[in-house]
Amino acid sequence: MTEATEMLVGASVDFLCRHSPFNRMEREALEFLASRLALAFHPKDSVILSPEMGQVKHFFIIQRGKVQARQTGNVSVTEYSSLNMDPGECFPIGAISAQRPSTNTYIAVEDSFCFQLPAEDFMSLMQMSPVFHLFCTQYIASLLNQSRQQLQIQFSQRAAEQQTMTTPLGQLIKRDPVSVTAETVTRAALQQMADDHVGCMVVVDADRKPIGILTQSDLLTRLLLPAFDLSRPIGEVMSASPHVMSSSASAYDAALEMATHGVRHLLVVDAEERLLGVVSERDLFSLQRIGLRQIRAGIESASDVDALQQASRDIRQLALNLIAQGIGAEQLTRFISALNDALTCRIIELCIDRHELHDAEFAWLAFGSEGRHEQTLSTDQDNGLIYVLPEGVAQEAYKLKLIAFARSVNEDLAACGFPLCKGNIMASNPELCLTLAEWKNRFGSWIREPDPKALLNASIFFDFRSLYGIEKLAEQLRSWLLANAKTNTTFLHMMAGNALTVPPPLGRIRDFVTDDDPQHPGTIDLKKSGARLFVDAARILSLRTGVTSSSTVQRLRQAGQKLGWSSDELSAIIEGFNFIQLLRLRSQHLDTEHDAPGDNRVNPDQLNELDRRILKEAFRQARKIQLRLKLDYQL
Amino acid sequence: MNWLSRLVGGSAAAEKLSPELKGILEKWKDAPEPDLGRPHFETRYIVLNTEASGLNLDTDRLLAIAALGVRGGLLSPADAVCCALEPDPAGGLGTLLEFIGKAPVVVFNTGFNKALIERAFEEHLGFTPEWQWLDLQWILPVLFSEKISGQVRLNNWIEAFGLETFQRHHALGDGLMIAQMLIAALGRGSALGAVTARSLIEMERSRRAARR
Repeated sequence: MTEATEMLVGASVDFLCRHSPFNRMEREALEFLASRLALAFHPKDSVILSPEMGQVKHFFIIQRGKVQARQTGNVSVTEYSSLNMDPGECFPIGAISAQRPSTNTYIAVEDSFCFQLPAEDFMSLMQMSPVFHLFCTQYIASLLNQSRQQLQIQFSQRAAEQQTMTTPLGQLIKRDPVSVTAETVTRAALQQMADDHVGCMVVVDADRKPIGILTQSDLLTRLLLPAFDLSRPIGEVMSASPHVMSSSASAYDAALEMATHGVRHLLVVDAEERLLGVVSERDLFSLQRIGLRQIRAGIESASDVDALQQASRDIRQLALNLIAQGIGAEQLTRFISALNDALTCRIIELCIDRHELHDAEFAWLAFGSEGRHEQTLSTDQDNGLIYVLPEGVAQEAYKLKLIAFARSVNEDLAACGFPLCKGNIMASNPELCLTLAEWKNRFGSWIREPDPKALLNASIFFDFRSLYGIEKLAEQLRSWLLANAKTNTTFLHMMAGNALTVPPPLGRIRDFVTDDDPQHPGTIDLKKSGARLFVDAARILSLRTGVTSSSTVQRLRQAGQKLGWSSDELSAIIEGFNFIQLLRLRSQHLDTEHDAPGDNRVNPDQLNELDRRILKEAFRQARKIQLRLKLDYQL
Repeated sequence: MNWLSRLVGGSAAAEKLSPELKGILEKWKDAPEPDLGRPHFETRYIVLNTEASGLNLDTDRLLAIAALGVRGGLLSPADAVCCALEPDPAGGLGTLLEFIGKAPVVVFNTGFNKALIERAFEEHLGFTPEWQWLDLQWILPVLFSEKISGQVRLNNWIEAFGLETFQRHHALGDGLMIAQMLIAALGRGSALGAVTARSLIEMERSRRAARR
């Protein structure tokens, strides 16, 4: 370095030292930066940097003048549409870190001098200077935070147009309800239905509280076939105690209610239980060809596996339709879970008949993602059985009988599209068909000796719930487990260590670190390096705080509250998890087979800009929760 | 050093040069002339600035010459030298000659700077390099007439551009600001269609002619 160069570098250092973050930067890094900076002039109104210029080659620091950042493209990703920058400010941090074109156009609004640093020197500086690295990541984080808020606004606008399953029922009411009092002559009521083109007539009392309903589908069975005298009051022929819901309940709640009770109409009431309107199944699923209720009814009336196979296909189709409607991942997975539960229960009932086990006291346990209510479309079986040995019965023979029954259930589930578990985590495995005492022994040994195998088992089996049978058995097992795991800090410590083995696939330089698996180049496994990060952390938190829920979202929400996490932070984490789940569901969307090799994989380059940004934010949330574990367990 | 020794110094100096310096001189003379028709972004300009004991050409001594390269419109700290005339004037000027090569040189006020520099070269190296000289004092008022339209001193332009430096009245300190004026001139010139060194030379010539 010549003496002249040293003096010029010194002059640049003096300039940089007047501005953040350079004034906090390490001396060595600062001198490196100053020695690599070249000064350029940008006449007023000239473009310094634009998306069309391709991958960003320089990082700019304004030395003198004024530069305006203007958003380009249809999608606004930040709060501002244009932003003026003054000397000492620098750009474009996100684009150069990610080695992509800038999303903004930068224009000199005055004659301006800018220092420029070549991209490779920018990268060296990031590695060299912790201060600069922190500055850049915080900047990007705040940008993403802004973009997340922006996206939420955009999504809620779109959602308002599209009507999602989270819409409150009050907003779904299309017209004033048609109602009569119980004394109204039936013929007049029917005439009014015909005049108003409505499918049902609500019967209300003097306070407008609904007391009954008469629907079109009742006409045949209640009026025509019994030859009901139409001059008699409608109160005599209506279905009493109709299903009502509050106007603040969501479409999703209503759909579940309809599915559960097998009804097509729900009466929406206000806080004083006065009639506000009627919501029909068609209102809820206008875009959907297959109704929840039909599937539910199909499952309940199925008398053999063939009929259930049809129901299983319908569940899949329904899920795809719901995805198309833009329903959120949490609701969607619960939907799938609810219907799969119904399917499984029906299979169990049919098998109980076949194996004559009507008196057996047992609970059918679901493990893993099914246990967490987080089934995606591509889930194999993970189940087990907890039973009570009847007094005076030989255990061996009884257990064999239960195992034979469980095997039938496993096979029928396989026939309905739930592949047999490759790891044999199924109730027909004698190791997993146990009494309460035996289960406690099993869990206890894992907690006492948390070797890698035990930790793996814990990650599958501790997410259990009772799906059919005597729920109390599962509850007893859970309260025992929580009491024991909570006190064993070594075990929780090991679990936490295990949960941290997989980092979120966020790159320091590129946005994402993709898999080097030659079979799926350029993709990210959303299960292994996405959802599981949240799931594992949530499990540890639930064990630590004694939260009984097996669902990841509930675990996070409840445990987070107990641990005093801010609700903003919690919602951000949960949103991150939900978004990854949604992407998983969408990536499975096109695959028809369960467990197809491409399942759970997403190529970030093929996502649109919005999804890519949210995905990155989601992974950041995973990192955040991992960091908490790291701090809590000093790992 | 009096005016007489300055006058006779030249040829005597040339004979005393070290072989190394002679080599530099030969190399310089053999180098191709610059293509002044190339655009600024393909041209290397050298900003020269002198530091003397005063402003009187007859009585004051040259102390140092700073040279700052501007390549492709960019000013990089690595591309700069500052040559002191003491204790080894010939060595310093040799370094400067090697650094500049045949690139067009840019100064603020050619009259003063060129005279000081050429005299030093003649005195210590026995030879006057013939560069293409450009004078910002004449070019700036054409390109930035909204700021200043007349022939003014360096201070006025520094103020007009709002420039700062690490040390005023220092060869390199003032040179840094003149170099910034040059990159501004190249940028503004390009925007106005004066995209080559030759067009700037023309600009200066017609401006001088108009003011005569």
